[in-house]
Amino acid sequence: MKKTLTVNLGGTVFHIDEDAYELLDKYLSNLRVHFKKEEGSDEIMNDFESRISELLSERIRLGYEVITIGQVEDVIGRMGRPEEIFGEDAFAEETKEEYRGKAEETAKKRFFRNPDDRILGGIAGGLAAYMNWDPTVVRLLILLATILLGPGATAVVVTYIILWLIVPTATTAAEKLQMRGENVTVENIGKTVTDTFEKFSANVNNYVNSGKPRTAAQKFGDGLVNVIGFIIKVLGILVAIVLLPPVLLILFVLVVVLFAIIIGLIGGGIGLLGGGLGAAFGGIFPFMDWNMAGNYPEGALIAATIASILIIGIPVIALGYLIGTQLFKWKPIPASAKWILLVLWLVSLAVTIVLGANFGLPIIDQYGWHRNYFSPIRYMHF
Amino acid sequence: MNAENVKSQMRKGSLEYCILLLLEKEPAYTSDIIQKLQEAKLIVVEGTLYPLLTRLKNTELLSYQWVESNQGPPRKYYKLTEKGELFLGELETAWQELNNTINHIRNN
Repeated sequence: MKKTLTVNLGGTVFHIDEDAYELLDKYLSNLRVHFKKEEGSDEIMNDFESRISELLSERIRLGYEVITIGQVEDVIGRMGRPEEIFGEDAFAEETKEEYRGKAEETAKKRFFRNPDDRILGGIAGGLAAYMNWDPTVVRLLILLATILLGPGATAVVVTYIILWLIVPTATTAAEKLQMRGENVTVENIGKTVTDTFEKFSANVNNYVNSGKPRTAAQKFGDGLVNVIGFIIKVLGILVAIVLLPPVLLILFVLVVVLFAIIIGLIGGGIGLLGGGLGAAFGGIFPFMDWNMAGNYPEGALIAATIASILIIGIPVIALGYLIGTQLFKWKPIPASAKWILLVLWLVSLAVTIVLGANFGLPIIDQYGWHRNYFSPIRYMHF
Repeated sequence: MNAENVKSQMRKGSLEYCILLLLEKEPAYTSDIIQKLQEAKLIVVEGTLYPLLTRLKNTELLSYQWVESNQGPPRKYYKLTEKGELFLGELETAWQELNNTINHIRNN
């Protein structure tokens, strides 16, 4: 049993096996890559498509309901494999020479992110391709550096993130060749494209996205979503970098509190728990009077709690999701959700600043500055 | 330098001339042109022809119109333009000259 797809080829609808579709699609994109530079390339591709459509229609007339991979192979045999077409093609010969000349100038390697070999952003994969090393070795080295550098590990992480933002992905066949430092020749591009013949990737359904013509409004929307997505990616990473120390501190505090609770429980029950908590906080921030929290109006306390959860939670979730989309191929967050999260985060930030300033800062009036009644800060050293 | 290479160069060189010659007699569908060229062993695979026809059309040597067919969608029906006829005339002269030159060398 095989899954079939429905395709419109040169104005005729065909049912085509999935593998046959893959082959035909790769064949056509291979030709498209070759004719891209030429005037009237769309027309040439249309000619190819209508002829293929004509040939396939003959089979349908013979009673075959579905186009199989064998039939596609026959058709390709008749139309000519790319190397046959390009080999016989006088004009192509000229362009190939031109192309080769150009390629020799640009045969220098370029550092790209490798979309075909990646765990996070494809930096290690790209670096491996650039250095001609095994990607696993590169990954192990990065991991080793992160562990050995200890506190300097942040530098590795930050460098990786910055590279992720700056280094472009190798999307076209030519860029993939440049990434490996191979010459950008028609044969090599053909090889790269045909190499993917065997990769029956999960992207078969790409045709759903790529086949439909997009209206101008949709294109504008796509562009907007991309731009906003990029801004949010940058913001998310910046926020993560900024928030990393406080988050670590909070985690540290939580661990200490947990430790104190456990000690308290071991020490003899619930009665000691409060003491443990107090001792823990008192130990970390000697100048804070945690009982002052009782002075806050209840509404403000609840608002402050929600705001602080959101202010830390949203970037953490966003970053987690970003990693998830890269690692586990999660669907990206819809643009509308991104906006809602951004607005929520900004509101929380405003609430925190207002409440924090109201309760935390000392009061300044005509008598000079003195302690805020609400503030938990008992004394400060300046 | 091998014979196959030179032969294929010769075929390539005469391909445009042959297409124009075919279309001079009567306008034709792309598939007819392909069939005749394959019979003459001038081309092996069909794919070679489409870029060539488009190039000839873009240089205004050929023109085409869409003609309904009783089986399937409309197909391109190529014919020679006036410019194409002039061009063909030049090629005929050149071919004749080449022929004469070769015969001359051969027989002397």
